[in-house]
Amino acid sequence: MHPAGLAAAGTPRLRKWPSKRRVPMSQPGMADPHQLFDDTSSAHSRGYGAQRAPGNLGYPATSASPQAAFLTNPVSDMAVAYGSSLAAQGKELVDKNIDRFIPVSKLKYYFAVDTVYVGKKLGLLIFPYLHQDWEVQYQQDTPVAPRFDVNAPDLYIPAMAFITYVLVAGLALGTQDRFSPDLLGLQASSALAWLTVEVLAILLSLYLVTVNTDLTTIDLVAFLGYKYVGMIGGVLMGLLFGKIGYYLVLGWCCMSIFVFMIRTLRLKILSEAAAEGVPVRGARNQLRMYLTMAVAAAQPLLMYWLTFHLVR
Amino acid sequence: MMQPQQPYTGQIYQPTQTYTPTTSQPFYGNNFEDEPPLLEELGINFDHIWQKTLTVLHPLKVADGSIMNETDLAGPMVFCLAFGATLLLAGKIQFGYVYGISAIGCLGMFCLLNLMSMTGVSFGCVASVLGYCLLPMILLSSFAVIFSLQGMIGVLLTAGIIGWCSFSASKIFISALAMEGQQLLVAYPCALLYGVFALISVF
Repeated sequence: MHPAGLAAAGTPRLRKWPSKRRVPMSQPGMADPHQLFDDTSSAHSRGYGAQRAPGNLGYPATSASPQAAFLTNPVSDMAVAYGSSLAAQGKELVDKNIDRFIPVSKLKYYFAVDTVYVGKKLGLLIFPYLHQDWEVQYQQDTPVAPRFDVNAPDLYIPAMAFITYVLVAGLALGTQDRFSPDLLGLQASSALAWLTVEVLAILLSLYLVTVNTDLTTIDLVAFLGYKYVGMIGGVLMGLLFGKIGYYLVLGWCCMSIFVFMIRTLRLKILSEAAAEGVPVRGARNQLRMYLTMAVAAAQPLLMYWLTFHLVR
Repeated sequence: MMQPQQPYTGQIYQPTQTYTPTTSQPFYGNNFEDEPPLLEELGINFDHIWQKTLTVLHPLKVADGSIMNETDLAGPMVFCLAFGATLLLAGKIQFGYVYGISAIGCLGMFCLLNLMSMTGVSFGCVASVLGYCLLPMILLSSFAVIFSLQGMIGVLLTAGIIGWCSFSASKIFISALAMEGQQLLVAYPCALLYGVFALISVF
């Protein structure tokens, strides 16, 4: 402590800047007024450290104790302000660009569900035989939200079913003593890979057949995700009741999802006339019919393929 | 002579600039006594933490929508560490899994709630709610220290505690985001998340 500091502590200090120090100490940087150069001989003089901080305020060093120095050092104030502005900029950048990759407003339509809808849809996935009207209601050119029409596709059920499938697979492997946490990641990525392959294959065949449908990609992902519900049911029954239970439930769910897919896709892929049940001749419609049958038949196959190794 | 009250403290080669406070911190005055207490500055309000804890612990009490307006992560941080500590007492050193699963779970819930609700929600709010509702899970893992949870009683207890956690979390989310008719839909992913935590505790 040099004498100028002690003298300055005695006089009323005129400070031009606020200080958040906890311990009243005189500033060692408050040099002798007749001194032209900064005193860099002592370790406390952090004037050069402040100089390198962004903003270059020429700020004097503060207290000597390290803990208080971290909290009260104006450099850290600047760093905090800079960091938070950087975070705000990053968030703005993400918000601006997220719409280019993920259409958030379109996705919100698929998540506008409520409990009653989910209950009815799950019932429909397991027992679609008595449902009569499969047409989605429209409201001024836009399809009505899933909340209001049980026929509309949604993404809540497929997403939850996918995650539940991964966890149930982990549980099944755990009961067979084959569990390790990275297996969860492996199951998840392999199921996701199969889903991607399926979506791409169907999109490719729709393109080759040159079918004009209003089946969007997200709709397709939603429809293909409904089979996970049956898979979960099958695996759970297999865990509780062994192979017999697994085959029974899986067989039932395979039939249901086959019928469900045919009835739903028929309205989307086939032209209006054929959808109403009037048989229309022509290679085009036959091709579309075959495509619908192929997509629907692929579902039970995949359901079996992705679950048989989980039940022993 | 130069004014003795304003010494030259600038650098030789740079012009000295006067520091004008641009941050929103209030000017606390020159005196040590005027500065606010440390906890208030750090934003840790014990009374609020206690209120939120009570809301979690009474699953049937109606939640107040405004309690989640200030996202405070101090309480959840304490609960996560306590959970890890009780797991440690049972011999499982799995802080990494707790951290990873809570990060992924919070991210997933954040995306889901933003897509499902009319108003958006911030990540801090989601993390705060999910962290507070982890409290009953700490009870489960402290049980696991003494008794093994792999019998029928253990299964029932685990199911009950998962239900309790997810019910509280969904109740707070529903009241804070004003989503009607979706409580079970919000409770299900919370149940999945807490189920994974329970898996760590049990096995």
